[in-house]
Formats: sequence, C-alpha cells, structure tokens
Amino acid sequence: MSYAYLFKYIIIGDTGVGKSCLLLQFTDKRFQPVHDLTIGVEFGARMITIDNKPIKLQIWDTAGQESFRSITRSYYRGAAGALLVYDITRRETFNHLASWLEDARQHANANMTIMLIGNKSDLAHRRAVSTEEGEQFAKENGLIFMEASAKTAQNVEEAFINTAGTIYKKIQDGVFDVSNESYGIKVGYGGIPGPSGGKDGSASQAGGCCS
Amino acid sequence: MYMLKSIGNANNANGDMESFFPIRPDCQQLVPKTRFKPKVGKTLSERRWNAAFDKDGRLDIAGVLRRIQRGGIHPAIKGEVWEFLLGCYDPNSTSEERENLRKKRREQYYAWKEECVKIVPVIGTGKFVMAPLDAEDGEPVENNGVVEPKSDDESDKKVVQWKLSLHQIGLDVVRTDRALVYYENEANQAKLWDVLAIYIWVDDDIGYVQGMNDICSPMVILLKDEADAFWCFEHAMRRVRENFRSNATSMGVQSQLGILSQVMRVVDPKLHQHLEGLDGGEYLFAIRMLMVLFRREFSFVDALYLWEVMWAMEYNPNMFADYAASKGSHDVVAAKLSKKVLQQYGKYERKNVQKGRTDQKSLLAVFLVAGVLETKNKKLLNEAKGLDDVAQIMGDITGSLDAKKALTEALKIHKKYLKKARNGES
Repeated sequence: MSYAYLFKYIIIGDTGVGKSCLLLQFTDKRFQPVHDLTIGVEFGARMITIDNKPIKLQIWDTAGQESFRSITRSYYRGAAGALLVYDITRRETFNHLASWLEDARQHANANMTIMLIGNKSDLAHRRAVSTEEGEQFAKENGLIFMEASAKTAQNVEEAFINTAGTIYKKIQDGVFDVSNESYGIKVGYGGIPGPSGGKDGSASQAGGCCS
Repeated sequence: MYMLKSIGNANNANGDMESFFPIRPDCQQLVPKTRFKPKVGKTLSERRWNAAFDKDGRLDIAGVLRRIQRGGIHPAIKGEVWEFLLGCYDPNSTSEERENLRKKRREQYYAWKEECVKIVPVIGTGKFVMAPLDAEDGEPVENNGVVEPKSDDESDKKVVQWKLSLHQIGLDVVRTDRALVYYENEANQAKLWDVLAIYIWVDDDIGYVQGMNDICSPMVILLKDEADAFWCFEHAMRRVRENFRSNATSMGVQSQLGILSQVMRVVDPKLHQHLEGLDGGEYLFAIRMLMVLFRREFSFVDALYLWEVMWAMEYNPNMFADYAASKGSHDVVAAKLSKKVLQQYGKYERKNVQKGRTDQKSLLAVFLVAGVLETKNKKLLNEAKGLDDVAQIMGDITGSLDAKKALTEALKIHKKYLKKARNGES
C-alpha cells in the first residue's frame, strides 16, 4: 500500500497494562478480554490520514517483562513515536514510568514523540492513579497524555493519531531530516513535504488531525 | 468413525480432540483450528502403549519412539508417555523402581511446597495473587505497590526476589491458554500458579520469565497429580531453560538464534543475506517460536503433537542416566553402537550421534524455524522489503502449518546442514 509517510512506533510499559490490546483495538477494532502475553516483540500496521496524506503506522509491540528488555530495546532505534502505557488500576505500573522513560531517552532518538497512556479507563471504579497524576507526570516530562480504554475503544484512535499528528507537525517544522531513516520516518511515493502532495488515497482510515 | 472408536473413547470425528481439551465456545474463533487426528497404525494408542511394557514393566522405547514419530500420542495417555520422552523415567527400569522414584519425587515436591507455604500462605489454597506481596508477611499489599528488600542477607534476597515474581506469575496465569475450558476453573489456574511458584523457588538461578507459563500449562493439564506435573515441567525446562536466562544485555535464547543464523547461512545463503540486508540477521523475529516452542503458531492440541514428535525425534536413551548424574551429556562413539541401541535414539538425535555432533542436542526447534523460513523462502525474498514485512509473513503462518510436515522438513534441513557443514570443513 502506498503512503506519503511511514512512521515507526514502539509500544512500551509494564507487563499486563494492555499494550497488545491497545494495538489490537487500533488495528482490528476489536477487544480481546484476555490477550496472550507477548513474548519478545510483535507487530501491527495501519493506514491513517493526516492533512489529507496517507500515513502508514508501523507499530512494534514489546514484551513488558524486565527480562526481555535487552531485546525490546533494540526496537527503540529508529522509532518516531512511542506509546508509554500504564494501567490506571495498578499503581506499580505508574510508579515504573520513570524507569521506562529513562530507558526510552537513552535508547531512542531525542526527537521521538512520546504519548503517555493511562489504560483501562473503563475500570474507573478500581482506579489507583488519578487523572491529575497522569497529567502531572506527562507535563513534567514533556509527554502528550491521554487516558484510554482498549476495551471500550475510548481514545484509542486519538492516542495513535495524535501522536502521528505531532510527528507530522515536527516534519512540517523541519525538526527531522526525513531522508535519514534513523528518525523512524520514511517518505513514500508522493510524500514530499509541501502543499497537498498526497498522490493517491489508499488510506483506509480517516483520522482526526493534530493539535 | 470405526477408526476412531478402535483407538480411543471418542465418539465423533471432528469433536474428538475437542472432547479431551474442550475450547470455550466464545473463544472458538480466536484459536487456530486443530489438524491432529489420531490415526490407526500410526498414533501411539493406549493399547499399544500398555503392550510395550514387559512383565516387569520395562519399556520397549524403540517401538514407542517409532510410533510417536509416525503419528504422535493418543490424548488419553500423553502425560505418562511424556514422562518417558522427557527423561523423567528410565525405560529400562521396572514398574516397581519407577513407583519408588515417583513416591520420592512427590515427597520432595511437597516438602518444597511446604517451605513456600510457610512464607506465602496462599500457596496451595486453590487461590493465587496478582498484586505484589508484602515482603514481611507474604500477604498482598495495599495498592501502593512498593516492595522493598529490607535486608542484604542472601537468603532474604532470594525470598524477596521470589516473592516479587509471584504476582507476575499470577498476571500471566490468567492469560495462559484462556481459550481452554480447563482454565475457567480457578483451582486449575492456581495449580499452574503453584507449580510455577515452586519451580522458581527451586530453580532460583534464572527466576520466572514469561513464556515458562506456556511450557508449563500442558503439563498441568495432562498430569493429574500436581507433583508429577511439576517434575514433567522441570524436565522439559532442562531442555529449554537456558533460553530464559537473561541479564541487562542479552537473553539466553539469542544463543539459539545465533545457531539459527549459522544454519541459515549454510543451507540458504541467499535468504540469509536478504534477511541480513533488512537488518534481520539476528533473527529476533523467531524468539517466540523458540521460547514457547511454537505454542502460538499451532492450536493447543497441535502444539502438543508437535512437542511429542519433536521430543521423540530428539530422544537419547542416556537422558535419564545423564539427568540422574546431573551432567551435560553422555557422549558415545556411534561406531560402537549396535543397531539395536541406535533404534533407541530418535531420528534427529540418531543422526547427530552418527555424525558425532553432540553439540546439536535439543536443537530440533532451531531447524524447525529454519524449515518454516524455507517454506516462506520465495515470499520473503520477493516481498519482504523491511522487517515489518518479515514479521507479517512469519505471522501469517499461524494455523497454516502442519506439525508433521514441518518436522519432516526440519529433519531434511538438519541433514543438509550436517552434510554441507562437513563439506565446508574439509
């Protein structure tokens, strides 16, 4: 499928926070109450549209357990966006965010866009982390923030698409040298930055745009 | 229909395996279809199995291996046959000797379990935890999630480390083989949790790593007695535990990936080069296949079938003695082996022994991955332009592989590899 740009994403965060479920909801629009745990790294992809341009998201979904860190780390390389996920019902997954962030900062390129996601917002009655705490952490660390639910699909589209919007804006602002693939961005056919360069409309999803 | 009747108590052709390992109705669509069916004259049946023992209970392992390599094991007897395939018991022992050993092992297991219960009382209660445990009393902590080691003492450290993994195991137990009706029962989930908890109590060197649950689950289902399930799992882990060893910079499974890379370079240099060009020469995409032995690529029943045929092919008659002496391997010179002894080896292991390749132990899984790559050779060469395409193509094999064919292919590649590697040396 042709695209104007390809963005490479990585999904990180503690085990069991719902990384794979968020991906499944985004790529397949379905929810699996119990997802197989991820061994190593899995993969998903979807087309979205931003500014009338078809953009392919290439998403690497990583195992959350510490033991896999040496493997999953290699996927930071050349990622344009990261979804850092915690579970709002499990405090410890929020407490570990700093160490995830440190890992990301150390292994990813400095311009990687990071979206912090407080997942399982449908389980508000079991909440162990307040929305304000999430917002606060994001603010302190320069991340975009959203609470989402892979189950109800609330904010799932938005999380993936807003991240892409931010990356797209960085391209427009000339933050990246898009010919350098180590930024996790590839220019596709007809994707030369400029007014309405989108050559064809193979995008399967129309998404909202960036802030 | 008559075929099935003659070898098992199944009463309908399609639902046969399903009656042994029923799938939740709401999960039917989520799991790969099962292809395995017991076949008369090929599959090791209960009757055949019972007839393979002499009056003292010594097992004709050569005959049993022949059967399993042709058609797997009937579900009714998988557990007890696996115990032999995995080297828990010596086929040359008598029934009495085995009963004694079984008794001793059960006592050992329950003694370990007793130690664990003293620290974490929820063990053995039919319940389990998913929240972090308090380092002091072993009860789940309130939701602040901080468990700090309070002492530098080595044994305390061991206890704290162990406790820290218990809730992780809990989080994984609820995600293990959830399509099976078996795990709808909390007591069965707790059995899996207990076995894993006690295993890492005993094998604290590696600790709990995700994927061990996938290896353990079939044992818990197949062996009714929890201690027997533990020992079966423990023996299976002897073959794969190094894959799970991890530190800050690497994971054990990477050594198998390295061998895979070496094999591919020899048997299909073109494809290897192509993958290397895509930055995939490390074969990281094969991690899951090797760590959980193709559990995700096959249905539950087909994975069991794959495992048992694989273990039969890898069978080495010295396994039990080697394990008992807890040493690496019992290397023998093939020339000295009689035909009769050679037949007690599985097909794959026999080749290794004949070629003097004792370094290839328990590596059939690696050749299996190589075989899968070969079946996708054209697609990978023509269509894979990035690692995402490789991941996609390899992902598409789920549910489309035939276990027996895949293993036959693996043996072929193994043969080719041994031949080419030897030519390369000379």
